[in-house]
Order: sequence, then C-alpha cells, then structure tokens
Amino acid sequence: MNKLLVSDIIELKEGIYLLEVKSNKLKIITNGNITIYLINTLINNLDLLINDNSYVNMYIFNKNVNNKLVINILEDNNTKIDLRYAFINNNDYECVINNNIKGHNNNSNINIRNISNNGLSKVIINAYIEERTTNNIALEDLKGINNGGLIHIEPNIICNSNEVSANHLTTIGSFNKDIINYLMSKGIKEELTKDLLLKGFLYSNMDDYIKSVEVI
Amino acid sequence: MLKLQGFSLSVNDNILFTNLNLNINDGEIHILMGHNGVGKSSIAKAIMGDNNYQVKGHIYYNDEDITNLNIYERSKRGIYLLNQSPIAIEGVTNAEMLRLAVTEKTNEPLNIFKFNQELENICQSLELDKSFIHREINVGCSGGERKKIELLHMWILKPSLIILDEIDSGLDVDAIKIVGNSLKKYYELYKPSIIIITHSNALLNIFDNYYVHILDNQKIVKSGDKLLALDILNKGYKELSNTFVISENNENE
Repeated sequence: MNKLLVSDIIELKEGIYLLEVKSNKLKIITNGNITIYLINTLINNLDLLINDNSYVNMYIFNKNVNNKLVINILEDNNTKIDLRYAFINNNDYECVINNNIKGHNNNSNINIRNISNNGLSKVIINAYIEERTTNNIALEDLKGINNGGLIHIEPNIICNSNEVSANHLTTIGSFNKDIINYLMSKGIKEELTKDLLLKGFLYSNMDDYIKSVEVI
Repeated sequence: MLKLQGFSLSVNDNILFTNLNLNINDGEIHILMGHNGVGKSSIAKAIMGDNNYQVKGHIYYNDEDITNLNIYERSKRGIYLLNQSPIAIEGVTNAEMLRLAVTEKTNEPLNIFKFNQELENICQSLELDKSFIHREINVGCSGGERKKIELLHMWILKPSLIILDEIDSGLDVDAIKIVGNSLKKYYELYKPSIIIITHSNALLNIFDNYYVHILDNQKIVKSGDKLLALDILNKGYKELSNTFVISENNENE
C-alpha cells in the first residue's frame, strides 16, 4: 500500500494507493491496474482520467460528507472503472458523478451506498456513452437508507450508441422490521440492531481494507 | 418453565386462538400439530414476542410474566425461535452478529480466538463449511444451509427454550439427519425445553419422549404422547377428528 499526500494533480501507475488530499480539488491520471482509497476526504471536485488499458478500483468512504462532491470520469478505450462510494450525510449534500465513455471496450460500475441521517442527500449519476462506440458496459447500483434524512437519487444513462450494455438499479428505503425482529431474537437490543444494519449496509460495497481501518 | 394462561391470539382482527392453556416444564418436548393455516407458526412468533400479533392472557417464563416483553428481552431470557424460512441480511456476517449477541449476553469482553474456534467446531459438527462464519447472514444460502446456520446461532447463544417451526421442511434426508443429530446432542447436553411444529416424523424420531398437542378451531383439541403423533401421521386429522374434544377451559397441563 502506497500512502500519498497529494494536492491538485497526480499520475498513478500500477499499485494500491491510499490518498490523503490536501486541497478540495484533485485530478488523478491512471495507468495500469490501480486500486485507490480515499477515506474521509473533504474534496469537492475529483477528475479521474483513465488512460487506455487501465483498470481502476476506487473506494471512497466518508462518514460525514460536506456540501458537495462532483466526480468527472473519462474513459477512452479498453478501460475499467469500479467506483464504490459509501457515505453518511448529516446535512444537505449533493453528489454528482459524470462518467464519459468516449471510446470502445470500456466497463464502468458505479456503486453507491448512502445513509441520510439529516438533511437532503441528492445523488445524480450521469453515464454518457458517445456515438459510434462499441462494446461498452455501464452499470449503476445506487442504494440509500433514510435514517432521519431524505434521499433523492437520479440514475441517468445516456446512450448514443446501439452497442452498449447498460443497467441501473436504485433502491431507497428504511429499516426492514422483519430484519430488526430477527436480530433482536438473537439477543441484540433494537438500537444496536440498527447500528449493525447501518454499518453492514455502508460497508457492503467496501473491501476488507476499509472495514479494517474505518470504524463507524 | 413456559406457561400459556388464558392465551388468546389474533392478527389483524383475525382470531387464531382463544383461552388456551399450556404448561411446558423444564426439559420437556412438546409437539404442536394441526392443519395448515391453523396458527401454529403464529403461536411460535407470539411466544417469541412478535408484536404483529395481539395477545390476551399471559405468557409466563420461569414464573415471570413476559407477556409485555419485547423480542430482545425474551431472547435474553433464553427463548429462541428457529424459523422455517430464516431471513437473509446483507452486510452483516454471522460472526459479527454473534459477537455482538454474546457480548450483550455476557457483558464481558470476548475471547475472539476461543470464540472463532467454537464457531469452527460447530460448523464441523453441522457439516457446514467454516467460510459461512464470515459470510453475510443467510445471503445466497440454500434452505438446508440456512437451517444449519440457525443451529450454529443456537449453539452459540445456548437458549433454554427452543421453538422449532417446521425446520424439517425442505430438507433432504442427509440434512435432516445432521440437523436431527445436532438437536439431539444439544438436548442431551443442555436439557432445554423444546416446542416442535411439524408435519412429519423426521424430527420426532430423534426424541424418545414427548407430548403432542393437536390444534384446531382456535383450541388444543387433543393432547397425548408419541402414539398420538404416529396416529395423526398415519391416519390424518380428518379421520381422527371425531376424537377431538374442545373443553371449556382448554386445559392441557
């Protein structure tokens, strides 16, 4: 794991990176197979330029988001982006992810888990697939739990090509009473069942590294 | 141990049982039988404390009136319901849930190494791959695996009253044997009271002595022993219905 303190712009090559960001804006250029972790970062603007033949796994975890985050992703040819973002908002918040697929053979998976404790969380995902491109895949899996706050999710996929596989799944809900009853029947207090479920939900799209370093 | 006194049960204004009395002493096994839809599973859930059901009368457990206690409080006192279709929970692993439950119960820090070892030993006895310990609860599991996972929870939580709601349904012969052996071993070791809801003799064969209650028309219409269960399984409810009696106070002690 490479731990880097970064600001404004960085070019990453093959490897696993934990980035600590000094500014509120960051541009990442990727080459090769790369895993990136951004934990509790306060950036508002992230540009992700995925060069040809780059495969990127990106985990963003934030237990108290602020104000707004815009992520712009650019994919040309033969790229893969698996972006997993889990966050809790305690105030109004807006997250916009623009994924621009300009070439061929690209694979993008945008996976969001949001717990809204207070305020309105607006999540807008825009995948643009350009004309005359082939063999692209765009997936969006966006889930939110209203835990006192509100959630608005817009999963947009704008396809200008006929040769694309696109799919989006959006769920917003609250606690399932049967699940709470089930956990209580194992001897867990109601408040703790909710903590367990929130943690489980938020971590469900994160990997073991995040789970090992971040305790909600 | 468990005592239902003047127990009436309804759900959404639909009356399932009226003025039912039942005593289950320490270490006793009681079988509840009856037609589909008679309310057997509802009794199980109501004893566990599911507040979707309206209860009148009293439920006593170890001489304590638990009628108004919630599911957690009942579980803490040792009541455990093993459901016919256990729920799946994404994002929460068996180990996480059990760690929390055991810590809650004992109020002491957990020896993780010892705890994991215990989980692995139980998995082995249930012929359940130990990877299930760190997998999300019942997610992507077959019916047989789910029931074994519930037994894994049971062995860790060590309840004193176990309610088995048709856990033999949907199990193949090998799985029934494993589940049955596990229950028998638990019974011999801890001598819990057990309520079994079933339509078959698969689980009945593993126990030597038990009481049987036939439920019909909102009451217990007949009680007996092993022979009654065999009679029902051989002849069916219809043929024996002329022997069913509904007494005034529906006393089955």
